[in-house]
Amino acid sequence: MLWLALHLPLLSLEAFCATLPPETRQRPVALIGQHRVAAVNTAAAACGVRPGMKRATALALAADMLVADSQVARDAAALQAVAHAALAFTPAVTLHDAQTVLLEVQASLRLFGGLGALRQRLADALVPLGHQMQVAAAPTALGAALLALWHPAEHGDLVLGAHAQRLPALQRLLSQAPVGLLGPAREQGEALQGMGLHTLSDLRRLPRAGLARRFGAGLLDELDRAFGGQPDPRRWIELPAVFESRIELFARAETSEQVLAGAAVLLARLVAWARARQARVGAFTLSMLHEPRHRQTTAAATELRVELAVPALDAAHLQLLLRERLGRCQLAAPTLELQLRCRHLVAGAAPSGELFPTRASEAEGLVRLLERLRARLGDEQVQRLVPVADHRPERASRSVPAQGSVPTTAVAAAAAAALATSVLPHHRPAWLLPEPLPLAERRALPLLEGRPLQLVSGPERIEAGWWDGTPAVRDYFIAQAEDGSLVWVWRGRLPAAAGDVNWFLQGRFA
Amino acid sequence: MTFSSPTLAPHAAPLAPESLHPALWRAHQVARPHEVVLPSGHADLDTQLPGGGWPARVLTELLLPHAGVGELRLLAPALAALQQRQRAVMWFDPPAVPCAWALGALGLDARQLVVVRSRGAARGRARERLPAADVLWALEQALKSGYLGAALAWLPARLPADALRRLQLAAQAHDGPVFLLRDAQERTRPSAAPLRLLLASAGPDQLRVTLLKRRGPPLAQPLTLALAPVLAAPALVRALAPREPAAPPRVGAAV
Repeated sequence: MLWLALHLPLLSLEAFCATLPPETRQRPVALIGQHRVAAVNTAAAACGVRPGMKRATALALAADMLVADSQVARDAAALQAVAHAALAFTPAVTLHDAQTVLLEVQASLRLFGGLGALRQRLADALVPLGHQMQVAAAPTALGAALLALWHPAEHGDLVLGAHAQRLPALQRLLSQAPVGLLGPAREQGEALQGMGLHTLSDLRRLPRAGLARRFGAGLLDELDRAFGGQPDPRRWIELPAVFESRIELFARAETSEQVLAGAAVLLARLVAWARARQARVGAFTLSMLHEPRHRQTTAAATELRVELAVPALDAAHLQLLLRERLGRCQLAAPTLELQLRCRHLVAGAAPSGELFPTRASEAEGLVRLLERLRARLGDEQVQRLVPVADHRPERASRSVPAQGSVPTTAVAAAAAAALATSVLPHHRPAWLLPEPLPLAERRALPLLEGRPLQLVSGPERIEAGWWDGTPAVRDYFIAQAEDGSLVWVWRGRLPAAAGDVNWFLQGRFA
Repeated sequence: MTFSSPTLAPHAAPLAPESLHPALWRAHQVARPHEVVLPSGHADLDTQLPGGGWPARVLTELLLPHAGVGELRLLAPALAALQQRQRAVMWFDPPAVPCAWALGALGLDARQLVVVRSRGAARGRARERLPAADVLWALEQALKSGYLGAALAWLPARLPADALRRLQLAAQAHDGPVFLLRDAQERTRPSAAPLRLLLASAGPDQLRVTLLKRRGPPLAQPLTLALAPVLAAPALVRALAPREPAAPPRVGAAV
């Protein structure tokens, strides 16, 4: 067994800072738990604020400090995201305590190329979540957790080293660890101190029966599990089938930039979750809970659903899409809380590495470009044309939203074959007016911009559509304008009522 | 015998600047771009274009009196060649609805064509912001991405000068031609595009192309190109015949 322990000493502070607007993250911040300062950031520490101080003392030292309560639920959500990110590397992940995640990685070593490489990949995967970590590896679960928590400065990163694989080396290292590391010993720290017990080796030298009688069986049990004397079964965490994460913003977000800054950590959690499921995100929903207006009991919420043409697993790309989507929507009121949900996952194909840019990577890049254009301009502005077998020109093409991929060559070939065998005549104008333009008439000839048109070809009678309620009964002519360009005009087959125009411009040959 | 070293001979062959660097040429020569050009499919035009085709990575401006003089039939061979190579073609803000069947007849696959419109145009309301801000943004993104084969953009008149310069910079990342189709009134305004053509109809199925600007000497005579015919032979005869007040076809008469 090889265990990796990730200890996040500043978890609650970092989880809180993610809810701050980006410009205030540099200010002194202190978290209060049980009426005492629980955690401070570096700016606050520079002002002299230390954990354990009273709130009033801390505020006296740094007047512009942001003070907030630490919340167990917020910390738990952040720790869960770390665990999800770790699940991409091994299925055996467990939460040790409120700040530590344990991974059993023995079976993953060969796939990821050794402990050093695995450790590096894990650190890279955790970067978007933005946590400071102490990492240790050991043959026992509790041993790894204790080493990560202890993290002697002179040892640096405690991943590589003899203790990672061999139990005697771990036992030698742990012998020097202070007694206070063990959970049950923390409550009885003074008694242990009074007895002159400082390190774990001091504890182990004592008679076991006496130790159990004085300090309870828990201490002995924990000592044995850390040193590998007792089995230490753990329950692996399971991934939820649906992703849902929320974050309560510290300040009201009034601009989309502020909303995006808050959503960034949610997107990082989403990507960690999707990666652990070995899948890609197909669509996600961001709901923004707004500040309630006065005399309104329930807060309004805006839901933004972002759908991807091709499922992706790139937080930067997701954020880009969200940014364009946010730029298009108007927020009713300042946002207080963000919630991200995702239930649409698509199993991902294994990526294929490419040395040179190829057609496939170009097609993928085009899909991303189209996605981006659609996110900003809307689906109805980015379209493809599909020919429809209909004689009426206004129905001969249909616009469909330009979904991701360019149609494959097989489809294109089929379309070309359909075109070749089609019964439709090919002299159709390339430009069709959205609405036929009524033309004035002089001596039974249509006028375009005051000049008579010369009819050179036709009529071609189109009489269709009686079956769907929009009948077209027209005679089409190709006409030549004054400057020699060709236009397509039609005349209603049935004579128009007196005073009505009967000639229309349908399109231009380009 | 006089003493003359070969390097100082006064009547030695003049130095050819084009042999020094591909970006150099004399004013009476036509430039030879080192970028790959895209043959236009019209032999007469290719001989007059620098490099023998539509240039890549720069803007090409086509000025038209109105939509529908034959501009698509001019560009269709080049665009069809790109689509054959599975390169994407995007149109930005076309002046009317393209007809998929007509494009098919020109050799273009309408399904592979992406049409981007600006929001103001679709809603048909007055534009509040910069004219065509949407389409300029979309065009710039598309050019910068470098995944496009060719872009055709119908831009409004009176664009700010820096908009065109921005597009010209973005086009440098784009491995293919960019055609800006603008109103013929813009011919007197300066433009960042290194190739400018004025198109006009020269009769049925004929296109007159005036090269306003190219990397090379100005071309005095406009070119007249024969386009893919729309008219059948008898109709062409009728169109070329001098205009006379023809007897209008009777209403309801099928021919």
